Amino acid sequence: MKKKGREGFSLPVYILFIAVTLAVMLLCICVGSVMLPLKDTLAVLWNGLTGAGGPVNEMAANIILPVRLPRVLCVALVGASLSLCGGAMQGLLKNPLADGTTLGVSSGASLGAVAAIAFGISLPGFPFAGSMVMAVIFAFGSLALILSLAYKLDSSLSTNTIILIGVIFSMFASSISSLIITFAGDKIKTITFWTMGSLQGSSYENALILLAALALFGGLVIGCGKELNAFAVGEDNARNIGVDVRRVKLTVLICISVLIGVCVSVSGTIGFVGLVTPHMLRSLTGPNHRRLLPATLFGGACFLMLSDLLARTLLNPRELPLGVVTSFIGSMMFIYIFYMSRKR
Amino acid sequence: MRQMKIFAALLTTAALLLTGCSGNGNQSGETSKAPEIPGAQKTETAPETETGEETQAGTEGPITFTDMNGREITLEKPADRIVALTASDCEILYALGAGDTLVGRGEYCNWPEEVLDVPPVQSGENTNVEQIIALQPQVLLMSAMAQTDEQIEALENAGIQVVVSYAQDIEGVYEAISMIGTAMGKDDEAEALVKGMKDTFAQIQEDSAGDGSETIYFEVSPLEYGLWAAGSNTFMDEVAQMLGLTNVFADMEGWGEVSEEQVIQRAPDYIVTIAMYYGEGQTPVEEITSRSGWENIPAIKNGKLLNLQNDELSRPGPRLKDGAEMLYDFVYGGESDN
Repeated sequence: MKKKGREGFSLPVYILFIAVTLAVMLLCICVGSVMLPLKDTLAVLWNGLTGAGGPVNEMAANIILPVRLPRVLCVALVGASLSLCGGAMQGLLKNPLADGTTLGVSSGASLGAVAAIAFGISLPGFPFAGSMVMAVIFAFGSLALILSLAYKLDSSLSTNTIILIGVIFSMFASSISSLIITFAGDKIKTITFWTMGSLQGSSYENALILLAALALFGGLVIGCGKELNAFAVGEDNARNIGVDVRRVKLTVLICISVLIGVCVSVSGTIGFVGLVTPHMLRSLTGPNHRRLLPATLFGGACFLMLSDLLARTLLNPRELPLGVVTSFIGSMMFIYIFYMSRKR
Repeated sequence: MRQMKIFAALLTTAALLLTGCSGNGNQSGETSKAPEIPGAQKTETAPETETGEETQAGTEGPITFTDMNGREITLEKPADRIVALTASDCEILYALGAGDTLVGRGEYCNWPEEVLDVPPVQSGENTNVEQIIALQPQVLLMSAMAQTDEQIEALENAGIQVVVSYAQDIEGVYEAISMIGTAMGKDDEAEALVKGMKDTFAQIQEDSAGDGSETIYFEVSPLEYGLWAAGSNTFMDEVAQMLGLTNVFADMEGWGEVSEEQVIQRAPDYIVTIAMYYGEGQTPVEEITSRSGWENIPAIKNGKLLNLQNDELSRPGPRLKDGAEMLYDFVYGGESDN
């Protein structure tokens, strides 16, 4: 704790991160499927922020605040959350391949949401909360199952065991989802489209939920940065220097489950973000989680916002699935960075 | 019971034909009688086929025709045991009064209601050849993309004649109907069905006052799952042109996921959604109306939204005619005629 000033980022660095993220966000708001004059866009934004009413372009007013801004916000928050989860999991499990998708947590969350839609599970008064709560529960259940099984088979929780079980569980969960879809009859269309995932139609409520989840559970994960550093050296070592291993593990895992569950229920499964961004950023920040985890927030947000920008504009007026763009760009960037850092 | 249903279906078809042509005066009144006659015959002959399915064979010589994949097909006798994998082919069979020859259907076939009593088989990428062979059909009707060549070969080795029906436009639907009619030995019924469709479409085109200045947007998948719209070379686009409307996504080929912003910018005068309503929460029309940023789209300002729930315009079958009529009533005001 005392070393905070030296280990973590200093204030100017944070300001730089925030500035870059805001700049990317502004770019993503100004460019879109419908080309709007920059002046009108900024006027609408300014009016929206300050609450001032003024003469604005009607088309810009109809598009920017109700459609484009909430989507960009949701994309940024999903990107930040998934990357943070990826970074924390990689640290906690000392596993460079750990991520929501490779460990089967995303598939588990999907299964929960599919079940909620198929069986009409909903909370009275909150029509969409049903799939979100189920996604979170299933995400945690999956993670608990995978890790306890891995621990039983191989108490050192080696990389291979965890990934193997994760991949197998992922397939298992997908097969159950398909099974439910097969028997869901009339609702089949609804669910099929849902599993493809989409950030179209994101609302400010979605953004608010994501923000709340990220602030609370993301904050907790970042707060565990020091402990995660200790884990990186080894679990026994962490215990020896006074880390409450069980508590930290449980906290981080619950936080990750909630974040992934909420993200999946808002956007469907978006692969690759959580896996790749932490690796790309590690070459900038080094392995220290006190620096890495905050950086993944901003990096993940920027990466997903830019990917979504391409998804929205590349094939105008069509849209591409976001997962296609993230996987394509992500793997290219990953190979490049991996190659450059290994060559040295 | 089934007999009654078929009869009722025929009656409604005839009624639709009559009302569809009613605007045209005497001349069309006469022509619309034509489809009624084979219909009446059909209901009389139907009991025969049911009492002696086997006896129907041998009344005529072998039937030869070319299927929609360009293959020469020879049938020893009119088909009497059929598995149809696509929903539109099932609908054509029922419209021809041959619904009772179905021994298996693709899992997505859901119209008319009695088709649900026919045992389902997996279709599309999950097609199960064994399942089909077990039903011992004489003919398997399917679309061009449904099967691999190996699967077709396996089926034909098992003595099942594979017939490909693959309509991509309304002209193709006519072709599919007459081909299936030929295979069933029901050429007259097929001709009448096609004529009924053509008459309705011609009537709609004649009555439609649009000059292409008004625009329409066809929503295939709602916003929650990513907007999908119908572009050019779709049945919806063809019907829109018939009605003198311009499809806002005519610059896009086929179906595609489109950006919500584009819909707002293109400001359609009419919106048609084919989303299903499950009886809970907002109806598809209410959901579209409540989308933020859509308030100023003319269709929403003027309440010009239509929900076609039963695949009338998305399926290459005889009910395209019904869909076109519903759309006509929606655009040009149904209160005057129907």
